[in-house]
Amino acid sequence: MRLTFDVNGVGQQADDVWPGESLLYVLRERMGLPGTKNACEQGECGSCSVYLDGTLVCACLVAAPQAQGRAVRTVEGLATDSAGGLDHIQQAFVETGAVQCGFCTPGLIMATDDLLANTPTPSDAEIREALAGNLCRCTGYEKILDAVRLAASRRTEVTP
Amino acid sequence: MRQFGYERPEYAADAVALAERPEVRYLAGGTNLVDLMKLGVETPDLLVDVSALPYEFVQEDLDGLVRIGAGVRNSDLAAHALIRSRYPVLAQAVLAGASGQLRNMATVGGNLLQRTRCVYFQDVSKPCNKRMPGSGCPARKGDHHNLAILGASDQCIATNPSDMAVALTALDAVVHVQDHAGPHEVPLAELYRLPGSDPQRETTLAPGALITAVDLPTLPFARRSRYRKARERASYSFAIGSVAAALDVEGDVVRDVRLAFGAVAPVPWRARTAEAALVGGPVNEEAFRAAAEAELAAAEPLRDNAYKVPLITNLVVRTLAELAAGS
Amino acid sequence: MSVPTTQRPTGTETATGRLGDITLLPDGIPKVTGDFAYSSDLWMDDMLWGVTLRSPHPRARVRSIDIGAALATAGVTAVLTHEDVPGSKYYGLEIADQPVLAVDEVRYTGEPVAIVAADHPETARRAAAKIVVDYEVLDPITDSRAAMSPDSPLVHATPTQDHYPGGGNILRHVRIRRGDPTLTADVVVTGEYDVGMQDQAFLGPESGLAVPAEDGGVDLFIATQWLHVDQRQVAESLGLPEDKVRLSLAGVGGAFGAREDVSMQIHACLLALRTNKPIKMVYSREESFYGHVHRHPATMRYEHGANRDGTLVYVKCEVVLDGGAYASSSPAVVSNAASFAVGPYNCDNVLIDGYILYTNNPPCGAMRGFGAVQVCFGHESQMDKLAAALGIDPVELRIHNAMAEGSLMPTGQVVEGAAPVAELLRRVKDAPLPAAAPTDSYDLRALPGGVSNTTHGEGVRRGVGYAVGFKNVGYSEGFDDFSTARVRLEVVGGELVATVHTAAAEVGQGLITVMAQIARTELGVEQVINQPADTSIGTAGSTSASRQTYCTGGAVQAACEAVRDGILAMASARGLSVEGAALRDGKIVAADGAAVASVADLLGEEIVEETREFHHRPTEPLTRDLGAPGDIGQGAAHLQFAFAAHRVVADVDVELGLVRLVEVTTAQDVGKALNPLSVVGQIQGGTTQGIGLALMEEIQVKDGKIRNPSFTDYLIPTILDTPPMQVQVLELGDPHAPYGLRGVGEPPTISSTPAVVSALRAATGRPLTRVPVRPEHITGT
Repeated sequence: MRLTFDVNGVGQQADDVWPGESLLYVLRERMGLPGTKNACEQGECGSCSVYLDGTLVCACLVAAPQAQGRAVRTVEGLATDSAGGLDHIQQAFVETGAVQCGFCTPGLIMATDDLLANTPTPSDAEIREALAGNLCRCTGYEKILDAVRLAASRRTEVTP
Repeated sequence: MRQFGYERPEYAADAVALAERPEVRYLAGGTNLVDLMKLGVETPDLLVDVSALPYEFVQEDLDGLVRIGAGVRNSDLAAHALIRSRYPVLAQAVLAGASGQLRNMATVGGNLLQRTRCVYFQDVSKPCNKRMPGSGCPARKGDHHNLAILGASDQCIATNPSDMAVALTALDAVVHVQDHAGPHEVPLAELYRLPGSDPQRETTLAPGALITAVDLPTLPFARRSRYRKARERASYSFAIGSVAAALDVEGDVVRDVRLAFGAVAPVPWRARTAEAALVGGPVNEEAFRAAAEAELAAAEPLRDNAYKVPLITNLVVRTLAELAAGS
Repeated sequence: MSVPTTQRPTGTETATGRLGDITLLPDGIPKVTGDFAYSSDLWMDDMLWGVTLRSPHPRARVRSIDIGAALATAGVTAVLTHEDVPGSKYYGLEIADQPVLAVDEVRYTGEPVAIVAADHPETARRAAAKIVVDYEVLDPITDSRAAMSPDSPLVHATPTQDHYPGGGNILRHVRIRRGDPTLTADVVVTGEYDVGMQDQAFLGPESGLAVPAEDGGVDLFIATQWLHVDQRQVAESLGLPEDKVRLSLAGVGGAFGAREDVSMQIHACLLALRTNKPIKMVYSREESFYGHVHRHPATMRYEHGANRDGTLVYVKCEVVLDGGAYASSSPAVVSNAASFAVGPYNCDNVLIDGYILYTNNPPCGAMRGFGAVQVCFGHESQMDKLAAALGIDPVELRIHNAMAEGSLMPTGQVVEGAAPVAELLRRVKDAPLPAAAPTDSYDLRALPGGVSNTTHGEGVRRGVGYAVGFKNVGYSEGFDDFSTARVRLEVVGGELVATVHTAAAEVGQGLITVMAQIARTELGVEQVINQPADTSIGTAGSTSASRQTYCTGGAVQAACEAVRDGILAMASARGLSVEGAALRDGKIVAADGAAVASVADLLGEEIVEETREFHHRPTEPLTRDLGAPGDIGQGAAHLQFAFAAHRVVADVDVELGLVRLVEVTTAQDVGKALNPLSVVGQIQGGTTQGIGLALMEEIQVKDGKIRNPSFTDYLIPTILDTPPMQVQVLELGDPHAPYGLRGVGEPPTISSTPAVVSALRAATGRPLTRVPVRPEHITGT
């Protein structure tokens, strides 16, 4: 089947898509966007978190045809508005040491973006609750909390 | 994964017509079905995507009855003001399940029909009476740490994994169904079947039946309701035991109560024995404990799941005590 | 050589930071943008997908394999079995006992039997399902203690035994005897302890891309911990000389020991050479649980004897580790378990027996902590029990017996350098305790059960627990453990640039950051480029045993010193006085601090490049003569010891069995914190893996089959399970090590587990002799 949808603001088309492919597979293997990660492919780890029509979902559980006509935003599309190449959340993850192997990082950054869009100044408890669907095996999460706190403080500075 | 086709009808009648063959499955949020297809447990030849159907609503009628469309996402349901204020047990149950990303995808209809987490059901290399009728059940002697203590049969001891359905069971929800005979209603308690000798039949739904909505009866005292869930990590995991409860107290007497248990039976377990024991009785922990024990007297724990009996008992006592203290 | 389109050098981005500075990861930016190319992200235009058919049985004879239907599937290019393995049909880290593809018998559920290449991964999977394997199913050997019996059936008909004569399924038996273990003591405590099978659970699945080369060889882009040990095994099985099998490190999504053994490396190369197309293989999460080794489950029996004042008189320990179907690194793991069985305590009379067994369970091997994790749960549980029996504070009992510089190991080895066991314990004990649990209304997320609303404070009790542990850094028992580094200094576009090249695997721990810090510090340059790791340079050894900063850091330091000597020689040849000079800020700086010359001016068009190996000090094998009189299992087997202590504060719902960790405090001596940011990150992450083992992580194996091969059923801690951590970093310096550093990665994973359980015991009063602790253990139901 043919799949047409919007990825990071650009109309895209994929041909010969098999319905059993996931949105994750289409993004990674057909769109050349491997930033969305394939850690479990069963909705158990959050590494493939993307926005689908503005809602954060696990791309691994979205059947490709379900993306027909919809808008997808991935980690690759996060920083397109900023001049410096990184948005403030990405920058905060780098600066605080929240990245080790980095495999969970794109998903956590998407989940943080979703959190801060709704809760600009989250408490620690709110951060923990919001990121509980994203597994990280390297960091013990402490520096991820630091990163989210830093990103929130900067976001508050720029958008009072 | 087996080859399959894909349709996305715009009318329920078209969906039902497409889905009457046993090889067809409805696809909504995909959070359970897509996973089971990857494991080879589900092998449909056609997926009928029901996300274009007009079932994403939560509304209240003039009598105060609340109707929830089957396509409402779990996140939207838990966040809805009507649900949070009038049926907090339901909002809490939904929020206790899965993760934010999955709740954004999963629907009410799909949640009601999610399949058991029994490891033998999910492992196609093993026998399972639910997946392959007559092949046997290795769970009784094998891994049954999180399997049923109530309502099981020799054929099957799987547990229903839903949190939401436990709350809906306590609330006496009614399910709207459309099938080849047209639309009709089924009380949720009659939707689920105990395994008996044919555990492959989990519901009373006809082939191709589509859940379109769920009604919540007006139940004023459900404003004081709670869902408590025990699990092996702080979030993002299935229950090892849960309790949904609503309590109506007058003076120091229980006027009415709703009580259901999760992760203990092949269906969300309505604790009617406990309810009967409580109604008209005193409002104290001894009575709560006695009621829970009365319900669990029927429990048939196995080697590794006996812990569920005291777990549920303690959850019941705590939940009812909290509700009583707040009334 | 063709390079896959998404393969790009990693870590070439510039960053700043000298040794000891907080230095950001140079690969951090591509990792946050999604640009970083992990092994599963690689892609080439005409590539095919490889998949693996695995055994559904833990033990069976393979009568026949029919690949006809699979091969006839449209889109399928190749289907291979053991008959298609041109070289060695067996591989292994130390002992080549594992079939590349099952030959005549399968020995664990999930063992690879055949491999398929096709144009779409789903096509390959469907074809694999059409392969017909005729198995004669046999009763599996799944109980490790029963497998020790001489009457037990054998997992391997002719087992490769390390040194134990006539032991049936015993792969290795390590005996340590020192002093007089027949002594009696005032107070004796015994205990039996069990540790479940833990998984490394890295997030980046096993994956890679094998590209056939025009010279008949193959280029493999791969996530691994040790390129050269993979290269050796791949070449042996392909029947090719090593120079025809070239490996490049692709982005690694975590490792923790699970990438020490070969997974899909040989398979992808076999398919690439057969099809003459690039082959991509990516395991699913379920397959990943079958596709790598796990932490050995252990059963342990301990007996501690002590004087009334708490002084240890003797310790006896028997530890049995289930090695599963193949050897992997098991012989070294059991050696470690025996070495560290007593813990970091003085005791002159020890009797230790460590056994590691072949069974038909999943193969076990390396995981962070490597044998020290299991016995730490044993010896620390015993120290708590002994303290209770003696009526002594458990921390004071530990301090009273604490090992110190000059102490003797059970193996007779003298502990050299700082061994701050007492200080680490005092530090975690003296740290301020968190506020008591509030008793009125408060945030549910701060209680056991969290958002599940299980308690509003009813039944919650607080417990505080302590533990200390240690292990070896680097490879032990006489292994020639070394690394190789090439460093080049040149002027590029008017700027002085240092290029560092090693084969060391960056797996997320921050090694490339440290390598650049060393070059900046030693050579006085700002710009350092880390060349991608590959096998075009000599081996770096494994990214394991907390050894990589020590060994590869040492090699980079040595190569930098050689480059510096070259620069100074150039300066000297031009008549400059360089006696005692160093390189700083792009200049040659004399001993008195005066700038002698600009390095860039001196170099001009010239390039100074040096390659050096760093071999750590030799170690000795443990004495093994079972018939010899006197002490046995003796020898200076270890290079360096690393120590950490933990204090855990836990709120426990004693009625429901749920736990919330309130806070973890840890202290660790790292010798010298080369990059404090990464050091703390390692300690926090390692501690969390220990928390996981204590509370939730276990691969459930029933009848030789993993029952929970998913992240829904194998639980690792989420951010809600992980408490705030106070990390205290000591820098006491090891005079024998480069920069005085001490390996960092593993100690946090060792003592955190028993500290958690100790806190749970304090809260519940229950013995809790098995990890992970389940809710019903806490409630006693």
